Amino acid sequence: MDDMQEILEDFLIEAFELIEQLDQDLVELENNPEDLELLNSIFRVAHTIKGSSSFLNLDVLTELTHHMEDVLNKARKSEITLTPQIMDTVLESIDLMKALLFSVRDTGNDNNADINIAPTCAKLDAISKGEDIKESSEEKEETKPQEEELQEDYSDMSDEDVEAEIERLLQEKRDEKKKKKQAKSNEITEENQKKEKEQSSNKPKDFQKKKIQPKENTAPVKKSSSSTLEQTIRVEVKRLDHLMNLIGELVLGKNRLLKIYDDVEERYEGEKFLEELNQVVSSVSLVTTDLQIAVMKTRMLPVAKVFNKFPRMVRDLSRELHKNIDLKISGEETELDKSIIEEIGDPLVHIIRNSCDHGIEDPKDREKAGKPENGTIELKAYNEGNAIVIEIVDDGKGLDTNMLVEKSLEKGIITEREADNMSEKEIFSLIFKPGFSTASSVTNVSGRGVGMDVVKTNIEKLNGIIDIDSELGKGTIIRLKIPLTLAIIQALLVGTQEEYFAIPLSSVLETVRVPAEDIYSIEGKDVLRLREEILPLVRLSDVFDIEEVFDSGENLYIVVIALADSKLGVVVDTLVGQEEIVIKSLGDYLKGIKGIAGATIRGDGRVTLIIDVGALMELARDTKSGIKKLSNKEELGSVKKDTKDYQVLIVDDSKTDRTIMQKALKPLGISITEATNGVEALQLIKSSDTNFNAILIDIEMPRMDGYTLAGEIRKYSRYKYLPLIAVTSRTSKSDRMRGVEVGMTEYITKPYSLEYLANVVKKNLKLPME
Amino acid sequence: MSEKLQSILQKQQKQQEESMQKKSEEIMQLVGFIIGDEELAVPILNIQEIIKPIEYTKVPSVPDYVLGVFNLRGSILPLIDLRRKFGLSSILQTEDTRYIVIKAENSEAGFVIDKLTQAIRIKQDDIEMPPVTFHKEEDSSNLISAIGKMEESIVTILNVNALLKRDF
Repeated sequence: MDDMQEILEDFLIEAFELIEQLDQDLVELENNPEDLELLNSIFRVAHTIKGSSSFLNLDVLTELTHHMEDVLNKARKSEITLTPQIMDTVLESIDLMKALLFSVRDTGNDNNADINIAPTCAKLDAISKGEDIKESSEEKEETKPQEEELQEDYSDMSDEDVEAEIERLLQEKRDEKKKKKQAKSNEITEENQKKEKEQSSNKPKDFQKKKIQPKENTAPVKKSSSSTLEQTIRVEVKRLDHLMNLIGELVLGKNRLLKIYDDVEERYEGEKFLEELNQVVSSVSLVTTDLQIAVMKTRMLPVAKVFNKFPRMVRDLSRELHKNIDLKISGEETELDKSIIEEIGDPLVHIIRNSCDHGIEDPKDREKAGKPENGTIELKAYNEGNAIVIEIVDDGKGLDTNMLVEKSLEKGIITEREADNMSEKEIFSLIFKPGFSTASSVTNVSGRGVGMDVVKTNIEKLNGIIDIDSELGKGTIIRLKIPLTLAIIQALLVGTQEEYFAIPLSSVLETVRVPAEDIYSIEGKDVLRLREEILPLVRLSDVFDIEEVFDSGENLYIVVIALADSKLGVVVDTLVGQEEIVIKSLGDYLKGIKGIAGATIRGDGRVTLIIDVGALMELARDTKSGIKKLSNKEELGSVKKDTKDYQVLIVDDSKTDRTIMQKALKPLGISITEATNGVEALQLIKSSDTNFNAILIDIEMPRMDGYTLAGEIRKYSRYKYLPLIAVTSRTSKSDRMRGVEVGMTEYITKPYSLEYLANVVKKNLKLPME
Repeated sequence: MSEKLQSILQKQQKQQEESMQKKSEEIMQLVGFIIGDEELAVPILNIQEIIKPIEYTKVPSVPDYVLGVFNLRGSILPLIDLRRKFGLSSILQTEDTRYIVIKAENSEAGFVIDKLTQAIRIKQDDIEMPPVTFHKEEDSSNLISAIGKMEESIVTILNVNALLKRDF
């Protein structure tokens, strides 16, 4: 049983590969009907699939391919010429074949699908019979095998017999059902069946033996096709994913190593071993990067995988729409990560359908406009930095901005007011709005207004960017820029208040630093005029509701991000730099938080959240801006009535010192809190609800010293004027200077008298002096 | 056909064995800890590890009891403050503060607790369903799964699956 399963899987993989080739070949064949080489290769595909499927007892599939093979065989022998009508039927049967294969893949067999092959088979038969040479050709094959491909034809024959037998049985069954419904097609099939019966009655003897033959027959065919391919092995995608995960861990390790090296370098500057360490670190980091690239490459597939289906699609569309459209494909060898390949298929289908339907004009209109009768759609792919660009260029009528605005107003997608303020690009991007359609009636091809919306969602999912250029009467260019891979990305690390975030670099257009005065406010939203564009702005801390603790300075850092068709300026407090990060999920419990795409572990072991640019843009729309309104909050500290309301924090690692200070301050009757080091003190200051009115700080403390603590405290806008009193035994001038630099208000040296300390505190608290 | 039959038979046997095991499993092992004034416990099999507090990263737009995420040797786990989850006010971390990493099925998270107490072995017979007043009817999100009676006190056994269930 397992053996069969394995064979079936192999068969499916092979069949899908063959079919992909088939579509392309057939379209090409239509242009060069005389190309015998092409015809032969198409015939071989049909034949191989037939052979394998009969071996696997896939009867419906076998029957269909058998009929196809008949027609193709005749064409191969120039007994019929392939007219577009015949091609339509052949293509139709290939579609059926695909559907059947999908059903085999999903359900394991082909007979429970809702796929009716009878009409197509009848058509195929009619074609091969239409020439009225069926009988004779049959004989020809039997009696005098062709000079070339003698082997193949011979095996053909035995195949057909097997097929015929199976078919006969199938047909019988089907006929019974059909008798009630379809009298017409019945006649054809019955006639057909008679012939088949005759045929099969010739050699119904060695049934068993022949059944094995098709498999043997496929072997030489397979070999000849594979010898032209590169040497490859098939690997489960799961294994590659696992490998990628491991490499992700390695990249994190590398980042960490680099960070540690930096620290060590600072500490042991000039030491000899540093050089050796440097060598090791850089070679590890180099190899890791190479390894990562190598594994990424193994996951890459040429975009041809997706592009291949378009010649067929454009051909069908042009027949359906009665237009003449040439599709030119270039750069199909450009490679992309497998997971991305799977995602870009749908968007491209929609864009190309759109170009065919709305872009390219009718031949008559084209003639009037002085354009060549045949419209051209170009599909290009090329690499650009860490991304791949796919361009869809048509030479059709272009996008009419006035019409776009009109239609959008009509459908209520935008308001008059919005329409007045829209730039050309913004108008172009209206075509991506859900519900938008320029077609006056819904056709088979388009007009439902969902297609382009799909494009936008899918491209956004990939963190891609869409750019549209169009000139009325000349044509339209749609450019998709998509990052090469999804698992490991380059990111820009930014800080807002005390927190850090990573923004995928593929979505970052630029970063700018502007003075706060340059920001304008329109209807309560902040905007920046950046070169000739008006850029909406949003504060990252507002989007994520991060508590405002630091003052941002005079200048603002703005990260300009773009996604699909829109742009946004994100205001941050610091730009940390660019880093390679590995995307990790936040797990089941936290997944799906709006605006967060995942998390990564930084060099220092901390977790940094990765921003979901698409969701951020959405969130930004609902965020009330506050760049202007910030700061100038009420000066803290309401009027104190009682001395007890005054809060003083003592930070000292020595218990004795703390007790002495307590003792000195006790007569003042104020409330006192203690902390044993800088870290603890900072935590208290940050978290507690009480606002301290003064802080006494020892300089030498474990974990965080007094200078650092003072510096940290001063970062908070609400503690800008908080009295910080250094109490220390360090008496040198440079120490005092440093104290002033970090923002100490007073500097008391030990030893001190209790009264002096009390007075200093009193003065700073503005308590009445005695 | 016979294969199918066999597999069905095997399944039945397995189920029987499982139910047998359940009966024989008389002693439940728990890890006890303190939140506020109460002693709570979690089955020892659900505990991945217990670590001292480490740095965590805040996560936006979550309820206040979700403190953020932290890095446990390369995996990123959410950190939940049990005090706030139970409606108590949060306190500063002390010497005794620990993160308990609890896992169930596919989910894993760290929980901040005030203090560890002890490993508890408790007989199945001494474990009772919580009083009816605690239960809203068939509420699977109930955080308390049972009450364990010990010699001198009682311990509240938490429902691990409910703890790890996202409720926002």
